[in-house]
Amino acid sequence: MLMNRQLLFLYVILAVSVGYLISAMSLGAPTDEGRLTPSFFPILVGAAAIVFCGVLITQTFRAAPAPKRSAEPPRYTHLWIVVAIFFYILAFKTVGYFTSSGLFVFALIVLFSSFEKLIQKALISVAVVLAGYVMFQYLFGVRLPTLWG
Amino acid sequence: MDFILLVFSSFSLLLDPVILTYVILGFVIGTIFAAIPGLTATLAMALLLPLTYTLNVETALMACASIYMAGMCGGSITATTINIPGAPSSMMTALDGYPLQQQGKGALALGHAALGSMFGGALGAILLIALAPFVAELSLLVKTTGKFSLLAFAIIVVVIAQRGKVAQAGLAACIGLMLATVGLDAMEPITRFTYGNSNLTAGIDLMPVIIGTFAIAEVLMQASSSRDISAAAAAAEKVKIRRRDFLPPLSDIRRIGVGCYIKSSLIGYFVGTLPGAGGSMGSFLAYTEAMRTSREPETFGKGNPQGIAASESANNAVCGGAMVPMLTFGIPGDPITAIMLGVLVINGIQPGPQLMSDQAGLIAPMLAALLFSAVVLIPLTLYLIGPYFIKIVSIRKDVLYGVICLLAVVGSYVATYSTFQMFMALGMGILAFYLRRNGLPVITMLLGYILGPNLEEFLRRSLALSNGNPMTFLTSPDSLFFVLLTMVFIYFLVIRKPSKSPVLAQGK
Repeated sequence: MLMNRQLLFLYVILAVSVGYLISAMSLGAPTDEGRLTPSFFPILVGAAAIVFCGVLITQTFRAAPAPKRSAEPPRYTHLWIVVAIFFYILAFKTVGYFTSSGLFVFALIVLFSSFEKLIQKALISVAVVLAGYVMFQYLFGVRLPTLWG
Repeated sequence: MDFILLVFSSFSLLLDPVILTYVILGFVIGTIFAAIPGLTATLAMALLLPLTYTLNVETALMACASIYMAGMCGGSITATTINIPGAPSSMMTALDGYPLQQQGKGALALGHAALGSMFGGALGAILLIALAPFVAELSLLVKTTGKFSLLAFAIIVVVIAQRGKVAQAGLAACIGLMLATVGLDAMEPITRFTYGNSNLTAGIDLMPVIIGTFAIAEVLMQASSSRDISAAAAAAEKVKIRRRDFLPPLSDIRRIGVGCYIKSSLIGYFVGTLPGAGGSMGSFLAYTEAMRTSREPETFGKGNPQGIAASESANNAVCGGAMVPMLTFGIPGDPITAIMLGVLVINGIQPGPQLMSDQAGLIAPMLAALLFSAVVLIPLTLYLIGPYFIKIVSIRKDVLYGVICLLAVVGSYVATYSTFQMFMALGMGILAFYLRRNGLPVITMLLGYILGPNLEEFLRRSLALSNGNPMTFLTSPDSLFFVLLTMVFIYFLVIRKPSKSPVLAQGK
């Protein structure tokens, strides 16, 4: 089997390591008149990463086939959380702390639970965001972006 | 001696209500995070890291020390009462703690765990206070080549300590080292791997790395996990704990023996000084040793308080041990000391041999807080809020993770008021999440990232000083010492493997 989740991960790391090594080599020769240049260490690290990736890919190929997956459906909540964080960061400065954080915390609470008792969850989100504001702004003196400046 | 006096005079800082509040708050937060399965004191510290910008360094370090101590003992609460170690370091405690709980002696098991934690934490802190200045003086003897060999030793040990996962750990360390090379070169005015992004010129900031690795990745792990602890929460609801049952009888303590406490604490302390070993290994080795030397080894795993005492003494003594390489060489022993190192670096303090002499005034209060947490806060917290701690498991996870995510993402904004750092934290979180999911230990990545810049600099300086002759690493006595030490560790950790015991296998 040439492709499973772990192998895919290793292929990605291998591709990044190869890209890193090529970038390192483009910095110049690793030594210059007996002295190590800025490319020496990255070349060493990139090469080591490729070797480790190779070892792990070989080990995965040689390993016994993985047991059949359980009947439990795959969970994608983590991907939705990544999406939520991404849009939260985009909105953080433009929309301001309150609106963006309120929606973000509400989305996370729903993602970690269910689409039930939404009003209760919205109220909890508001309380969390207010508590966060008090903590950051007043207790720790952090200026958070707000719509009123 | 001056340093020891300085530490003891630093106890007066605890009379300041603000500082005392932070120390107590740190301890309570650390205990709560350690007690909840899936959360760790490391996560608590990662979330609180941005706040250290606004605190003075002494207070921040004192709060960190109390979180650290709480994190080591807090895991024993759920390990004992519902057989789910709140923290990995309490895994061995569950082996004897839970059988005691089943015998109706859960409170007594918690009492033994607290006594062991108190003893181990105190001895570890005292050894740290007494020995750290000498280690710092000795570390002055380590020159450039020796420093390279020492850092290489730290990375190699942390990689080979990951039994059966050496290739994974090696790859993770390489990823950390790759991250460390981003930005301006330390010796020549050349930027590397920034691809024209000026935000990366100064390198990848420590804050998003820590927040991403420990906070965001943890939330993603929990979201992708199908583990349901509602049964554990229901079990926790049924557990009744009374304060009067906490105190272990003198006969039990005699049966355990003061020698067991001391030996386990020493094991924990010395394991703590090794990079990447951490509380889990300390408690594992101390438990093994206690069982090996016990007159009744067959009772281990069936509710022998000696097992709890050994495990908890060792994992709390690790706190003191792990700070030795962090303070004297800037090498973190585990993730928590890596974050403490971050607190120092964020505040412009460079850990190393000069730290104990030049800035002892900043370090002494932290060690005082460590000792205070062990001797005062562990028993006090158990007595005052112990009966309610078990209810922590019932906290709503959806709200908890919402709060954690908010603190993590906004926390990464605090350092530079830039959304770039927030995206970096997210990127690091995704990276750490996939590393963990594929069995790559993130601690080796973190160590590679933290030690990478110095490792490269000392390598280049050493070879520049020796005109490119690599034999300098074998001819320089300080370097040779660490090369030989590395070989000794490779022999014990890779070539010669310890035998397994059925009880310990059950623990795993």
